[in-house]
Amino acid sequence: MGLGKTLALKGLTLIVVLISVLLFTVLIIGASGLSDRVLSSIMNEELRGIRQKLTTQIRDPEELNRAMDEIKQDLVKAYGLDKPWYARIPNMILRIVTLDLGSAREVQTFTGSNRISDIILERIPNTILLMTSALIINFVLGLVIGPRIALRHGTKMDKAISLYSAISYALPTWWLGMLMILFFSFKLRIFPFGGMYSVPPSEDTFMRFLDLLWHVMLPLITLVLALSGSWIYITRSIVLSVAQEDFVSVARVKGLPEDLVRRRYIVRVAASPILTNVVLGLAGSIAGAILTEIVFDWPGMGTLYYKAVMSVDESLILALTYIFTLIYVLARFILEILYVVLDPRVRL
Amino acid sequence: MLLEVSNLRLYFKTLRGDVKAVDGVSFSLDKGKTLGIVGESGCGKSSTANAIVRNLPRNVSRYEGRICLEDMDLIPLSEDEFRSKIRWRRISMVFQGAMNSLNPVLKVGFQVAEPLIIHKGLSRGEALKIVEELFRLVGLSSEIVNRYPHELSGGMKQRAIIAMALTLNPDILILDEPTSALDVSIQAQIMNLLKNLKRKLGISMIFITHDIALASDICDEFGVMYAGELVELGSAEKILPSPKHPYTQKLLSSIPRLHSDKTPEFIPGAPPDLVAPPSGCRFHPRCPYVMDKCSRENPPNTLVNGGFVKCWLYK
Amino acid sequence: MSFIRESFSEFWASNISKIGILFLAILVAVSIYTVTTLPLDFGVRYWYNPVYWVDYPKSAQPEWINIFLSEKLMSHVELSISKASGIKPYNNRFIKYYNVSYNHECNQFPKFITLRISDLLFYRRDSPPIVRFYVTRPDGRTIELYTLAIETISSNATPPFRYFSMEPKRILLSGDIYLARSLVSFLYREFNISLGTSGVLEVGSEKIIFGSIGGDNTFTPLIGRYVFSAVLICSDVNDGIGMFNVVLGGYVYGLMGTDVLGRDLFQGLLFGFPIALIIGVGVSLLTTFIGAGLGIVSGYIGGRVDDFIQRFADTINNIPLLPLLILLSFIFGGRLWLIIFVLVFFNWPSLTIIVRSMVLSAKASQFIEAAVAIGASRLRIMVKHIFPQVAPFVFAQMIFFTPYAILAESALSFLGLGDVTMPTWGQILEYGFKNGAVFLGYWWWILPPGLFIVYSAVTFVFIALGMEPVVNPRLRRWK
Repeated sequence: MGLGKTLALKGLTLIVVLISVLLFTVLIIGASGLSDRVLSSIMNEELRGIRQKLTTQIRDPEELNRAMDEIKQDLVKAYGLDKPWYARIPNMILRIVTLDLGSAREVQTFTGSNRISDIILERIPNTILLMTSALIINFVLGLVIGPRIALRHGTKMDKAISLYSAISYALPTWWLGMLMILFFSFKLRIFPFGGMYSVPPSEDTFMRFLDLLWHVMLPLITLVLALSGSWIYITRSIVLSVAQEDFVSVARVKGLPEDLVRRRYIVRVAASPILTNVVLGLAGSIAGAILTEIVFDWPGMGTLYYKAVMSVDESLILALTYIFTLIYVLARFILEILYVVLDPRVRL
Repeated sequence: MLLEVSNLRLYFKTLRGDVKAVDGVSFSLDKGKTLGIVGESGCGKSSTANAIVRNLPRNVSRYEGRICLEDMDLIPLSEDEFRSKIRWRRISMVFQGAMNSLNPVLKVGFQVAEPLIIHKGLSRGEALKIVEELFRLVGLSSEIVNRYPHELSGGMKQRAIIAMALTLNPDILILDEPTSALDVSIQAQIMNLLKNLKRKLGISMIFITHDIALASDICDEFGVMYAGELVELGSAEKILPSPKHPYTQKLLSSIPRLHSDKTPEFIPGAPPDLVAPPSGCRFHPRCPYVMDKCSRENPPNTLVNGGFVKCWLYK
Repeated sequence: MSFIRESFSEFWASNISKIGILFLAILVAVSIYTVTTLPLDFGVRYWYNPVYWVDYPKSAQPEWINIFLSEKLMSHVELSISKASGIKPYNNRFIKYYNVSYNHECNQFPKFITLRISDLLFYRRDSPPIVRFYVTRPDGRTIELYTLAIETISSNATPPFRYFSMEPKRILLSGDIYLARSLVSFLYREFNISLGTSGVLEVGSEKIIFGSIGGDNTFTPLIGRYVFSAVLICSDVNDGIGMFNVVLGGYVYGLMGTDVLGRDLFQGLLFGFPIALIIGVGVSLLTTFIGAGLGIVSGYIGGRVDDFIQRFADTINNIPLLPLLILLSFIFGGRLWLIIFVLVFFNWPSLTIIVRSMVLSAKASQFIEAAVAIGASRLRIMVKHIFPQVAPFVFAQMIFFTPYAILAESALSFLGLGDVTMPTWGQILEYGFKNGAVFLGYWWWILPPGLFIVYSAVTFVFIALGMEPVVNPRLRRWK
């Protein structure tokens, strides 16, 4: 009873989610015929290349054709094109779940590797760097400003913050990014147009670090400006509604000092709904990551996914969808654990 | 005299104007006695209690008068003084709607022990020991100490809250509708508990309710409130058989009686608007004995029978 | 009834609500204006049809920018005439003139020059007219711009014979070789400058036509009156041209400027209004309806139905929306219904979960017990008794969800996955970004679409903020 059962149930749901998303992605790509089309065109490219090479070796046209036919048969089998698309599924899913992600077609790491796991490993830290910094700053802002504003409910400050939050919520992060670049990079020439490092990157570690800071400034400011508003508003609303509960008055009448009341009776109780909102906001975070990275040409998971979809790189798309869902699901799971720990009412 | 309240006023600012929730209320409480304050919903009885424990919202426009606890006037005290000297140590309170009086994320025992830790500086272990004793006193098993509020039934929560109010052995315990949210059998249990506590501890209480019958069970003295004013005050033995104020009379006759055939009467009209109360005597629009004078001048308190009545009939 | 009146006065009490409603009224008004002025297939017929915008200036700023500039930018100019200015006999033929004049006052050269004639009419089968174009400069010099030869008619048709009726004849002078050669001789004859054809093309014909020569062979814009003539050398006095146009490419155009294809951004932006309203309101209505409906059913009916719905909702809640949305849009092509469907499908669960818990506490109240005791059917109880309890919250959620839908659609369009048959603000931004508008400083392309997105989203956010005290009575103002 209690903790264990709740968590086990959540865990099960999440695994179901993971598998269904994967299945769904694979089904979509296969059933729409995209899979077959793309694989055929890849195969034909390879065939053309082979044919080119062979013409220099085999002069006789008949012999050439025969050799090509053989090779084509082998290739068809290798690509799995001799079977219907759904026969390819179990194999694909098995490989992905075991994290054998295969190779990308066009994308490469800086060191020239095609392996998807290498590519992902190279790019994840970039995304984490940007997203986590933004998340932390927003979180702190929310927790610092939110409660303070809640306790000043109805004043001009409260109204001003509400206004700021309203506009901030309505502001598309990616558009704000464009405005930032327009103003700070084009007009004022203070910050770079995008990317993570200057080209060529400097050798000195300290200079590299400064260069990184210089590049991360605009995307970070954009993310904070666009997202802090709604976050502050949410914490404010939650703290406000908790502060009006009876048990808070009781705590004061009990003679508890005001800061203790604030800590133990308001913030502690507000923590769990606030956390729920963090979880809810995760979906938005992933979307925000993808869009912001694209605008600032930040070499992270977002731009990678975009490139994968645009170039219809099937294995890359599958791998990335899986990784995204995995990260999302894991993050939610961790947050659900925290949620259960903080709010005893949730335990089964 | 343990507590003397004179001319207590508490007004709230609203969009429509000032709500005169408590408008010149005066009464006194003797040691070991229980004073009941009765009246309809919205007559200001909870506000009076809140005024005494200084549980005030942000939109207070007037808070004045004298609240004397053994010669110490409470209103002029600073926040800090009030908190460290008076709150919970001298006066504690059981709120209306006990359902929501406990912090949902803290264990029940800990919340009850909190005043001991904060005010008396006890360690957690020592405080919890005392809590266990208190729980026994109110009829709760000691394992409740480790439970969370949502795991308790309504009656259990109420007992825990009463225990919580007793932790620092206050001089005065104020109870605001302690049984309204409970069903009748539990209500009886809680009333018995309170009577026991009164006997064993000799604690002075102010018991606020809309249910006169309930109050008559435990109260030594009665104050009847109407539209922010006390219209009658006196001992239970004097008021119950022969109420003086027309409102009190109406209240008492609206109680159905088990052994009598009389049909309960109701009070015609609606509760008054506390922003703009009726002129003169506030009860005059609903009073069966209304005279000309009643609509023009508010009657003063007339001493009667060891208590007082606010009615022109007795001047 | 009084509940509605009371709610409304509570809502109206704050200034933010008033502003929200005002904004909404403007949104609706502009949408109505758009729908009545522009055709419904505006997207397919005009916006995505580059040919339509050929004579528009490319990447032009809005006209009103000239208010702030000391050196005014040249406006886009389109001159036209549909009647002959004069006719003169010439040997045994006629010369018909079509003249249009233009006062050049700016210190710039036109970006391009285009001549257009339509509805050329002639009566002699074997003697079609010759059309020659000239321009006379403020300094009195004349340049021969172009000669258009018309083919004789070989078929059995009867006069009058028409050319260029369906489509006007368009002559883009910039980069034209014939004009270049004409300019070579012009320069030599009038100014004694030797510049080869390639030299002329490098400098740009517009500079030479509209320029005066400076000291070191540079051209500065020549201010003054220019007269463009289309001269028809024809055999019949009734031969003629229906319309003669001269287009001088400007640097500013219209209320909102143009994009890199020359598309009038004002029209494109207008069209975004009704679409934003439809998407925003449509998606939120559907999501709220489904989400609240399932929440009520799940909470009231309970049992296995409740379990199933909750599990399903929880599962969906755990799926990251954008990656899948990108994938689906890419595979099925950007289509409005797909976007709406996916947005609704992924967002009803959160509403369901909250409504369900509200229903659970409403279910325990006594008047529900009473209704059941009377024998009311479950459907009736859910509709008549439970729904009114959750209605204010649901309504507020619906309002709050609208901006989300608008923002989501523009994000999708920005990724290039929007519906390609109608221009939305997100798409205009996508095209701008792809064409480097951000890095080239084309602020008129980047600022307005985003501002409109923010504006329409903010409208609903303000209204939702105003609804807050109605929904949460504890926040009602006592001051």
